[in-house]
Amino acid sequence: MGSSKIHIHRFISKLLLLGVIFLSVGCHSYMLDDAQYELRDSFTDGNYERSQSLLNKFEEKNLYKSKDKVLWNLENGIIYHFSGQYDSSTAFLNRAEIEIENNYTKSISRGFASFLSNDNKLAYDGEPYENIYLNAFKALNFVHQKDWEGALVETRRMSFKMEQLDIKIKGLADALSKADTTGRAEWSSGRVNIQNSAFSHYLSAVLYAKTRRPDNARIEFEKLGIALREQAELGDYEPFDVSNLAQIREPESYNVLLTSFTGQSPIKFQEDIRLWDDDYYLKFSFPSVELYPTQVSGVRVNINGEDDINLHLIEEMDLVSKDVYRAKQPIIYTRALLRSLIKAGGSKFITKAIEDENENLGLLASIASFIFKEASEKADLRGWQTLPGQAWMNVVKLPPGTNKVTLEYLSNTGRVLYSEDYEVDITENTQLELIESIYSK
Amino acid sequence: MNINTQNQQITAMKYSFLSIIMLAMLITACRPSNEVTRIDPGSTTDLSGRWNDTDARLVAEEMISDALTKPWLNQFSRNNQQPPVLILGKVRNESMEHIDTEVFTKEMERAFVNSGSVSMVANSQERQQVRDERADQQTNASYETTKKMAQELGADFMMIGNINSIVDEAVDNRTLAVFYTVNLELINVETNQKVWIGNKKIKKLIERRNYRG
Repeated sequence: MGSSKIHIHRFISKLLLLGVIFLSVGCHSYMLDDAQYELRDSFTDGNYERSQSLLNKFEEKNLYKSKDKVLWNLENGIIYHFSGQYDSSTAFLNRAEIEIENNYTKSISRGFASFLSNDNKLAYDGEPYENIYLNAFKALNFVHQKDWEGALVETRRMSFKMEQLDIKIKGLADALSKADTTGRAEWSSGRVNIQNSAFSHYLSAVLYAKTRRPDNARIEFEKLGIALREQAELGDYEPFDVSNLAQIREPESYNVLLTSFTGQSPIKFQEDIRLWDDDYYLKFSFPSVELYPTQVSGVRVNINGEDDINLHLIEEMDLVSKDVYRAKQPIIYTRALLRSLIKAGGSKFITKAIEDENENLGLLASIASFIFKEASEKADLRGWQTLPGQAWMNVVKLPPGTNKVTLEYLSNTGRVLYSEDYEVDITENTQLELIESIYSK
Repeated sequence: MNINTQNQQITAMKYSFLSIIMLAMLITACRPSNEVTRIDPGSTTDLSGRWNDTDARLVAEEMISDALTKPWLNQFSRNNQQPPVLILGKVRNESMEHIDTEVFTKEMERAFVNSGSVSMVANSQERQQVRDERADQQTNASYETTKKMAQELGADFMMIGNINSIVDEAVDNRTLAVFYTVNLELINVETNQKVWIGNKKIKKLIERRNYRG
């Protein structure tokens, strides 16, 4: 009897220790969530200096661990991009791309740990669209630096990644369709549009056209049309007429690329479901995604105080992001539910065993198991906080000399919410100038 | 052997085992986190599958031996009684990676100059610095040491080229085949005649592991 008591005491202390460990794991995830919100706020306020110092502070506090390196690099890449430090931005985005590649090899220990605690234990390996957008921002970095060769390398990478995704997603649907001998089910890639990016195709078409690769520009332009159609399906609106964008294929007809970003990436919230009866307690948590509505409904460009042109809404990255989450939702829910069931079943078994030996210790064990389930179950709310919500683009031909360009962000009533002035020097030899602006509200 | 002795032996084994583990942990903990070893620059180190120094070396070796042994060199030297003068033009990177082409073009320049069979002149970026220096000398250097203007050696041939790559990836992203083809050409500056075309192909197969520990 004496030795069994010692065993139980040891067991309880281990259980409590385990509870403390899981509590600390849960705490870390909550701290990362807070850090992400803080970063998002400073970035959307346009305070990039503060965003950079926040990221440095988070690194010192080890809030972004090795499993979160992709995110850490993506956030840095965008913050440095919009603060005009293009070399640093490219370096961080390169690192993010390499980390995404490295995360192809899944860690068994992390997978096991995530099944015992939560999905935050898994390495953040980047969504397919994030892997494409990072190349688009790198391409913009190179365009700012007038490094056309570097920009084209990124363009080719974007095209390759989109083609691969297209083969993967549409090819999978085709394969399922062929394998279905009943012919009853309709196999298609459905409304999931993660393999195409109108923003990336637009940028590629411009770069190919400007570097005298008309055939590549034509292909990208055709893909842009497809991407815009698919995107319209996603947003439930009339598809944009791609013929309005035909100018981008004629390199002599423009010398300035106008790019604006608005809005923010969707925000993830935790939703908890708790089920219990007299001797059973189950909690499972999953992320819920909500779009962050932008106040901007148009971007107008005034040139030299005379002509006004509008930028085209080319891509709604926030919708793509939400759509990807929608596609992954069943897997996330199933995993969360399974994990909760295992935790509940396991802790009930242990508590029962202790209770049979000693009723008081059983009560302690059931409290410890409750803390363990509460603390360890946590939705994975990690995401690319600084990714803008929408991309607006157009091209224009400016006359030689210094041109004053004003970008105005308009509300749905036509009120100017925010404006930015640029001075652009154009010579006879100017190949392509890039004007890039952001308003995250 | 009685039960007590057996228990003592098991306890002793347990402690020795724990001591070994602790010692191993202590040794591991005392090691620096990074270990640097100097290795032969000619050795092959394929860590990521991306373009690396080995690829650049392979290209340089192939191109140098090909360019210096093909008939254009002897023909020119025989007809002109002097080695040809080369200038390096642009080697365009048309691949999907950021490749510094200077790594192998500099190697080629070095081999050409050291062979004594080919002369090289500064390329467009390099010569601007030299021209600035020469212009500066006209006002600041002593008369005896001032270098003359308009005495540059004109190139007979320009070397240009490109790097292309084709990437083929399995749908599951596990296997990746990368094919690089590097083309270099020597073009007669006066006649536009191409006198030499060198090519080096490199193919790599990259297999990613699905799981790690």
